[in-house]
Amino acid sequence: MSIEVMTLLFFGSLLFFLVLGLPLAFVLGGVSVVFLYFTWGFDSFYLVASQIWSTMGSFTLVAIPLFVFMAMILERTGVARDLYRMMHLWFGGVRGGLAIGTLMICAIFAAMVGISGAAVVAMGTIALPAMLERGYDKKMVLGVINTGGGWGVLIPPSILMILYALITGVSVGKMFAAGILPGIMLMVLTSAYVLIRCYLQPHLAPDLPKEERGTWPEKFAALRSVLLPMLVVFMVLGSIIGGITTPTEAAAMGVLGALISAAVYRALNMELIKDASIRTFKLTGMIMWILFAAHAFSAAYQSMGAQPMIEGMIQSIPGGPWAVIIFMMLIVFLLGMVLDPVGIMLITLPVFTPIVASMGFDPIWFGILFVINMEIGYMTPPFGFNLFYLKGVVPPGITMSDIYRSVIPFVIIQIVGIGCLMVFPEIATYLPNLFF
Amino acid sequence: MRALTAFMTGVTRLNNLLGRWFSYLVMVMFLLLLTGVAFRYLLQMPLSWTGELTQLLFGIYGLMAGGYLLSHNGHVNVDLVYSKFSLRTRAFLDLFTSILFFIFTLALFYFGLDMAWESFSGRETSNSAWNPPIWPVKAFIPAATLLLILQGIVKLLQDIAIAFNLSYYQPEPEPKEVPEDHA
Repeated sequence: MSIEVMTLLFFGSLLFFLVLGLPLAFVLGGVSVVFLYFTWGFDSFYLVASQIWSTMGSFTLVAIPLFVFMAMILERTGVARDLYRMMHLWFGGVRGGLAIGTLMICAIFAAMVGISGAAVVAMGTIALPAMLERGYDKKMVLGVINTGGGWGVLIPPSILMILYALITGVSVGKMFAAGILPGIMLMVLTSAYVLIRCYLQPHLAPDLPKEERGTWPEKFAALRSVLLPMLVVFMVLGSIIGGITTPTEAAAMGVLGALISAAVYRALNMELIKDASIRTFKLTGMIMWILFAAHAFSAAYQSMGAQPMIEGMIQSIPGGPWAVIIFMMLIVFLLGMVLDPVGIMLITLPVFTPIVASMGFDPIWFGILFVINMEIGYMTPPFGFNLFYLKGVVPPGITMSDIYRSVIPFVIIQIVGIGCLMVFPEIATYLPNLFF
Repeated sequence: MRALTAFMTGVTRLNNLLGRWFSYLVMVMFLLLLTGVAFRYLLQMPLSWTGELTQLLFGIYGLMAGGYLLSHNGHVNVDLVYSKFSLRTRAFLDLFTSILFFIFTLALFYFGLDMAWESFSGRETSNSAWNPPIWPVKAFIPAATLLLILQGIVKLLQDIAIAFNLSYYQPEPEPKEVPEDHA
């Protein structure tokens, strides 16, 4: 069989079994084992088992359960509620102020946790009803929470950056540093959009009545709510960027910070630990089994000789290196609509990274483009996770199609953000070059 | 039939029980890493074993989640088309796709066992400064895969019962959609 036919069959059967509903980990593992059998025979499966052992030996990966655990704890403390109250007092007087405030809380949350769901759930239960009650347009509110939640994976720490670093071999610390400015850029872009829309169409976000805006002493008292999040952010990012600990140990520091926050809010009890532990176990296990299977996938992919073929195919795209990058982004964007981010990374990165490197692009920069694209994947229908998190917490009057339609302008803003990064790569590369 | 039902509930309970206990390993890993940092900076006394022990526990933690997750349908899949089908159609599809599941997990079990046995016969250690034996951790690869396979057999039996209307298993009414956590 020619390599072209084999490759087509390989990716075709991956897709086929995925659509039939078999979990991603088993599709990757099963299809790869079958193809490995035809290229290298039965004994090549030993490779699969030994690769699992080496995955278990990656110290960086240990950060994943810890960052997840931290997020699960922070989601349940009163941190989000107090932050929201603070934003309410400070920004209530501005048109669209609550939406801007929500975006800022999402950014603060993103700097504490490394996953996308925590902020969506927290803001969906706290900010969403509050904003709807005050006459905010539901599409504006839903879109804001959806976008802000996705920043969890872009603003460090980030589980996806850890995985990216693992697959491509770049440093986790550099990836984290590279995510800071693009995160701020996206926040500015999104806030600008909200402000302009609300200025032109005041009915979308009425300003609060005078009596709800709070007095100055109240406003300053509410600022206290930022202290604990600051402590957590400082413990995690400070440890990594200051070179004190490895990213994995920094994650443990973050768990400590989260536990302290929970204690301060008197939310620290056995129930919280138990619930957070089991949710962490599920999410980490899901990621780990996809990773285990993905090793079979890379082995099969390489053994078939598909890599040179796909490289050749991609390089024949007219328009040079930039067209290739845009083409890759398009593929990832489309995959993001239907597939899990961890899966997308493990399927596409072994294919893309060598090509990107051979064209002379900075892998850190490409990683940030990739992560923003993943973040878009969280909010694009039909299979964006943030959409489902939101659906799980919104009041009954809001339908899935409301949520679907609300994301359109916000997705466009994120794509504009990717465009800015392509024109000004320094936004991503400045800080890592400065710190490391 | 009674034995079949007992097997199914037994395996599911075992995976749930183990899952609940192993989920607390995240606390252990956290405490170990924290101890490591504290000894290094506060007591100026770096410990050689905290990082490595965390690492070994993490491997076990990830592996052991496999069977637990399957018993909770927690492995992420693409349910775009799949969720549109009836319970029975899904059961038939699952019967078909389970071939891949068993090919992957059986290959993993066979070679995992091989690897663990080799490690055990050589009393393999990690060759680090601390140098602990690592065969117990390697043994978790076939052990956890076996738990996953057993849970896969339970799922297979459930799907057969649903697909052919057999009485030994009654599917529970579908729970209200609570979104699972994702990265």
